[in-house]
Amino acid sequence: MVRSLLNILISPGAFFADLKGEQEESFTWPLVIVLLGGIAAAGYGYLLGEVSGRMMAGALPGIDALVTISSTLGALIGVFIFWLVWTVIVFALSMAFKGQGRFKRTLQVIGYGYLPQVIGSVITVVVAFEYVPRIVVPHVTAAMMQDPVAMQGITTALMRDPAMMELTQITSIIAIVFLLWSANIWIFGLQKARNLSPRDAALCVGIPVIAYVLFMIYSLGVS
Amino acid sequence: MNFNKKIAGLCLVLLITSIIGMASADLTQAQAPITGKVFVSSTVFDPAVFFTGDKGTATYVVTTSNTNTSVMLNHGTFSDKNFRLISGTYDYSNTLGPLQTRPFAFSILADAPEGDYYPTFSLSFFDSNLYHKTLLQIDNTPLELTLIDKPDAFSQGKKKTIYMQVANPRKNNVRNVILEVSGAGITANPSRTFVGDLASGAKIPVNFSVTPDHETTLALLLTYNNGNNPHEVSMKIPITFGTDKKQADPVMSNVQVSTIGSTYHVTGDVTNAGLETANAVMVTALSPAVPEDPYKTYVVQALKPDDFGSFEITFGTEGSVTSVPVQISFKDNDGNIYTSVQNVTVPDSGLAKVKDSSGPPLVPITAALVIVAVFVGGWFFYLRKKKQ
Repeated sequence: MVRSLLNILISPGAFFADLKGEQEESFTWPLVIVLLGGIAAAGYGYLLGEVSGRMMAGALPGIDALVTISSTLGALIGVFIFWLVWTVIVFALSMAFKGQGRFKRTLQVIGYGYLPQVIGSVITVVVAFEYVPRIVVPHVTAAMMQDPVAMQGITTALMRDPAMMELTQITSIIAIVFLLWSANIWIFGLQKARNLSPRDAALCVGIPVIAYVLFMIYSLGVS
Repeated sequence: MNFNKKIAGLCLVLLITSIIGMASADLTQAQAPITGKVFVSSTVFDPAVFFTGDKGTATYVVTTSNTNTSVMLNHGTFSDKNFRLISGTYDYSNTLGPLQTRPFAFSILADAPEGDYYPTFSLSFFDSNLYHKTLLQIDNTPLELTLIDKPDAFSQGKKKTIYMQVANPRKNNVRNVILEVSGAGITANPSRTFVGDLASGAKIPVNFSVTPDHETTLALLLTYNNGNNPHEVSMKIPITFGTDKKQADPVMSNVQVSTIGSTYHVTGDVTNAGLETANAVMVTALSPAVPEDPYKTYVVQALKPDDFGSFEITFGTEGSVTSVPVQISFKDNDGNIYTSVQNVTVPDSGLAKVKDSSGPPLVPITAALVIVAVFVGGWFFYLRKKKQ
């Protein structure tokens, strides 16, 4: 199966064509893939949460730990929520192209297709290990907590830290590359899961992916 | 015959003489109780104690306690080898009526060195003399001008206070005491202080401020009158520039730098490590920093020795910087402003970079767009090829 999983990355059409019988229904590997993606995302969430925690440490005793934990768990759970929401979007779009197939199969395909993003998340964590120590963290005081303008200012200062900005740009590029790689897999998977033509599957996947990527590019521009 | 006439004439002369003598003896016996009641009731010397060379007056007040008889006073004079009489004597006759007083004043000049002297006032009556001796001292002890306190060192253009004391160790009061302060390149305030009369054993503080333009010597001249005789005491105080060892010394510590938006926020403590109070302590950032609200300048207020106060300042920067000079200023008790500068390391010049950079990051955006274009293009050709 591991060998087959590698096929997802380089030959997704063949991989989904080979899924037969119980494999067609099994959620084991999609769950494992998304869980791995969640763990990697949690690692990145921990590193950035620790930065935010340091920023907030002066405002309230113990808030740094709270921020770090919530950031880590948020990243872990967020991957599963992304999985579900993304499936819903793609499934809904495929309905417009008269796609046929159960939601469960689409969910399975999206799960398999998340594998490139696991790799991307691991690379992101490695990059973050390099950049996070170089981030100059501003400190929030208790008085600033009462001032929304000051809070906005200090958050902006953190986001505009040169190391933070470089980290954001690099991780965004990584995320776009591996999201497009995932999109490639999802197009092949969706053809089979929803019985769509390659063109329709490409549109069902491509529209939300391109929209999301453009949003990320826009975010890079305004950050 | 001639011999008998001569004998008779001689006897006659002797007889007349005897009669006159007897009459005079009777008169003296009658006047003695009257002149014995004439006395010197008071003696006043001005000044009370002389310096050698001083001129002054000696006034003797003669009183009679006779209630119904007048007394004829003749030739009143002052005499002593140590005091030169520079006015005349009383060579005419005066009648002193019952219970009357009459002053006899003499101008004298003290010729002798320090010591106690007893000059004589004498007054002649028609049948006797009155002699009166009184203690008159000559003391050359001058007033004491004492430097109570002054700064360890002076600074150019800085006003400093000097604390003096004028004391009178003499046995008599002195008048018109005046302290004058002068010196090249010095502004003294007040430059002339009128103290007035100073009683024996008394002391009085005299303070003045000095603002030197350069190192010099401060000249103090204390003038006063002993009676009507002017005297003076002088003193010189060197004015040298340097660091006052007791001067207030605010030191910055516990400095922490953070950022709020595009503004640096520096907090810390200022401790007065000197021995004098630092008034109106203020903290602000200097160029290349640009102080910004809300804490362009922070007033810590007065800091006593070993006291400390917290501060916080906010500023931006012009260009990329690694440290920012932060100035502490304070005033001493004379209102002089002192400043010291301490560099505060800014952990990163990121804020300046952020300010300098304008527009979106083109490289990552371009790269992302290229990636998207490759992906979309690839799929477009794939679908087109498959359709054919």
